[in-house]
Amino acid sequence: MRRPGARAVWALHLAVILLLLGLQVVVPPFHQIMLARIMVLAVYAIGYNVLLGYAGLMSLGHAMLFASGMYATGLTILYFGVGAGAAFGLGVLASAVMATALGLVTLRASRVSFLIVTMMFSQAFYLATLYFNEITMGDQGFIISGQLAPLRAGGREFAFSDPAVKYNLALVVFALCLMLSVWLTRSPIGRVLVGVRENEERTRLLGYNPLSYKLLALIASGTIAGASGSLYTLMFSYVGSSFASILYSIYPLLWTLLGGTGTTLGPLLGTALMTYVVDIASGLTSSYLLLVGATLLILIMWFPAGVMGGIRTRWARWLP
Amino acid sequence: MSFEGHLFLALLEGTVTGFVLALTALGLSLVFGVMRIVNVAHGEFFMLGAVIAWYFSTLPGGFLPALVAAPLLVGAAAFLADRLVLRRLEYKPESTIVATIGLLYIIQQLVLTVYGPYARPVAAPVYFRLDFPWFGYSGYKLVVAGVSAALLGATWLVMSRTTLGLYMRATQQDREMAQAFGVSVDRVYALVFALGAGLAAMAGALVVPIQQAHYLMGLDALLMSFIVVILGGLGSLGGTVAAAFLIGVSDGLVSVFFSPTLAKIVATLLVALVLVLRTGGLFGEEGT
Amino acid sequence: MTRLLETTGLSKTFDGLEAVRRVDFRLETGEIRAIIGPNGAGKTTLVSMISGRISPTSGRVLFKGKDVTGLRAWDRVALGIVYTFQVTSIFKNLTVFENVALAAQRRLMTGALSRLTLPQRTLAEHVQAALAQVGLPDAGDRHAGSLPYGHQKLLEVAMALALKPELLILDEPTQGLAPEEIAALSRLIRALSRGVTMLLIEHNMAVVLELATKVTVMDKGDILAEGTPSEVEAHPDVQKVYLGL
Ligand SMILES: Nc1ncnc2c1ncn2[C@@H]1O[C@H](COP(=O)(O)OP(=O)(O)OP(=O)(O)O)[C@@H](O)[C@H]1O
Ligand SMILES: [Mg+2]
Repeated sequence: MRRPGARAVWALHLAVILLLLGLQVVVPPFHQIMLARIMVLAVYAIGYNVLLGYAGLMSLGHAMLFASGMYATGLTILYFGVGAGAAFGLGVLASAVMATALGLVTLRASRVSFLIVTMMFSQAFYLATLYFNEITMGDQGFIISGQLAPLRAGGREFAFSDPAVKYNLALVVFALCLMLSVWLTRSPIGRVLVGVRENEERTRLLGYNPLSYKLLALIASGTIAGASGSLYTLMFSYVGSSFASILYSIYPLLWTLLGGTGTTLGPLLGTALMTYVVDIASGLTSSYLLLVGATLLILIMWFPAGVMGGIRTRWARWLP
Repeated sequence: MSFEGHLFLALLEGTVTGFVLALTALGLSLVFGVMRIVNVAHGEFFMLGAVIAWYFSTLPGGFLPALVAAPLLVGAAAFLADRLVLRRLEYKPESTIVATIGLLYIIQQLVLTVYGPYARPVAAPVYFRLDFPWFGYSGYKLVVAGVSAALLGATWLVMSRTTLGLYMRATQQDREMAQAFGVSVDRVYALVFALGAGLAAMAGALVVPIQQAHYLMGLDALLMSFIVVILGGLGSLGGTVAAAFLIGVSDGLVSVFFSPTLAKIVATLLVALVLVLRTGGLFGEEGT
Repeated sequence: MTRLLETTGLSKTFDGLEAVRRVDFRLETGEIRAIIGPNGAGKTTLVSMISGRISPTSGRVLFKGKDVTGLRAWDRVALGIVYTFQVTSIFKNLTVFENVALAAQRRLMTGALSRLTLPQRTLAEHVQAALAQVGLPDAGDRHAGSLPYGHQKLLEVAMALALKPELLILDEPTQGLAPEEIAALSRLIRALSRGVTMLLIEHNMAVVLELATKVTVMDKGDILAEGTPSEVEAHPDVQKVYLGL
């Protein structure tokens, strides 16, 4: 009676995935690439939302986790010619390890300090990608298309340069992460995370160690972010330190706030809206980041619940 | 150049950097201390100061009036930002951070639109060289250090000798109590935010002849100020100045002998650890 | 009777204020123990150190003969020490159901798998049982913050019950309740006491006299007297402290 319509919830998410599956047949190639990019970035936002939306922790250091996935995948392909699948696995693993280390160090801090400290560690990571530019090629970055072998499955080859391959890979990872996040937030662990967010002391006196649950959330969040970074590398074949810069910590915050913090579909919606808006704006002006700033300001001042949050309070309380 | 020459240069550069950094970070520290908020847009106030100074240098009046105009203009902008944005958010820590990130991009991108992506130099208003046994040194840098020192002293006087300073200290100690004693906390907040921004703008204006004005120069200023404020203890004037010198000089030393990037990595990591290990956190809230 | 809980030399100092002073306190299994005392006597502070909510300045806490002084609150909950807050601490933005579910699932989360998924029906049964016990069977869908204060206290009790305690510490549970609700809660406490040892902080003397098997009187951080309700009532120091209130 309380977690209304478990079936409706799963059906809704399945419908969204099917919609995305169908969309590739109807949209023109340009939008197909855009949507593929949106899906892979939405995975990043989904990961961010696990931490912000459910554990209530705001991080400004996720670029480090996103970029860990990128670099682990990109560098192993570039220098060791690792296959795409293994490189993806390494990317996810690297960000999981990074998230664990980051959590062990930073979660001791209070909420506001956590924000600042994650930003500083991420900035150190960013500077490190510049400092070791003989390996990472710093700002300029590197391209892996020359070293990247196509995927082989069922006797067929799938080249990453093929838009359809990009799209469907992004869709598969997106669908998995979306369902993972829906399930996680409805699981007992998800309930504890909400408890930690709402009233940490009470949660402690109900028998839960808040620190270990926050760590769990950060690891889950970072691992999903890393999966996004890793896949992004495979799809677009490029890695550069700008992906580790603070802007890439702010993006998932923006997407999540815009779509609706603590909603499962918010990250996709926020990423889609913002990616399109930024794309259009960047065609018109070099100051397109003005939109990023203005949107953040408007959201926090007038619409802190975001789009899905607004829909939830107004029309559909059952939305997860 | 000999080893002593390098060492002396590093110390000298470090001292100058330390003074400018102290001035920039002091503004952030006041805002931290009195208002208990993290102003992520602080570096942009620094950048605005620099850009305004460049603009003045192209006018007939020259560079010098900018040293008055930049802090006043930027202070006024900050005053408005406090009234229109921060106060409406009731200074909630996380909301203010998001809002000031928004302000950061708005200011930065507006400057990009109006001023362009260039790094523009400004001729120093005074030009003389000091000759040391190993090298000649720009006298303007020493002027910058001197002016910064004077402003730090002036801020200290305001804090310790004036009614405004008393109100600020009272608000910092206990907001409710200050309010009960008739301090208009709202007004103090707006003034502190403006003062903090003004100090940063002043520092920005002062360094233009050394550093050139560029729309992205705020981020570095912000990070360095963070480092200084966290090391020095928030709202502590003495601590901020001491930390600024420590960072300025060690940054100077490490940068001359190693790489500036490495210096920043090390400083950032160290300070992040300090913040984690300091019990009570940034605002003395209880950690877990 | 067996000893369930023992504190030795338990003290807590807040910025120079000795809220609890070297208290030696013993509790036998199956008791309904009441702690009474004027405001600021240190009752909440004492039980907070027992539940692990705050750590003592000095002294030890033994539970079933085992030293639990170094255990954190969540580990003590796992041992069966459960505390309900004097000033209600609930999840105001969540539904009543979710509040109790968070407590109930703690007992159900036994293996790794049950952390990831729990049968919805089992959980709902546990939640419903706890809510029915405290007399809030129909409140599940309401927002916890929208309940009247007295019912928020009952929700606290329901959350505690869902944790299946061995030692249940109730800090002024009847505060804000109507007389008939107090009577119902008293009946519940008595019924529960067959399986659960009760430590009850209470200002309502009628409730204390009716329920308690033994009463501890605290004043200024010390234990002033201890005995059956009638012994304590007759104790001259208690009369002085209490009638002076
Ligand atoms: N966290 C704290 N910090 C400082 N002092 C505290 C704190 N908690 C309690 N005290 C002080 O310790 C003393 C004992 O408080 P406690 O809450 O234990 O009393 P109590 O017996 O539960 O009173 P009441 O009947 O009012 O609930 C009081 O003087 C109180 O002001
Ligand atoms: Mg009490």
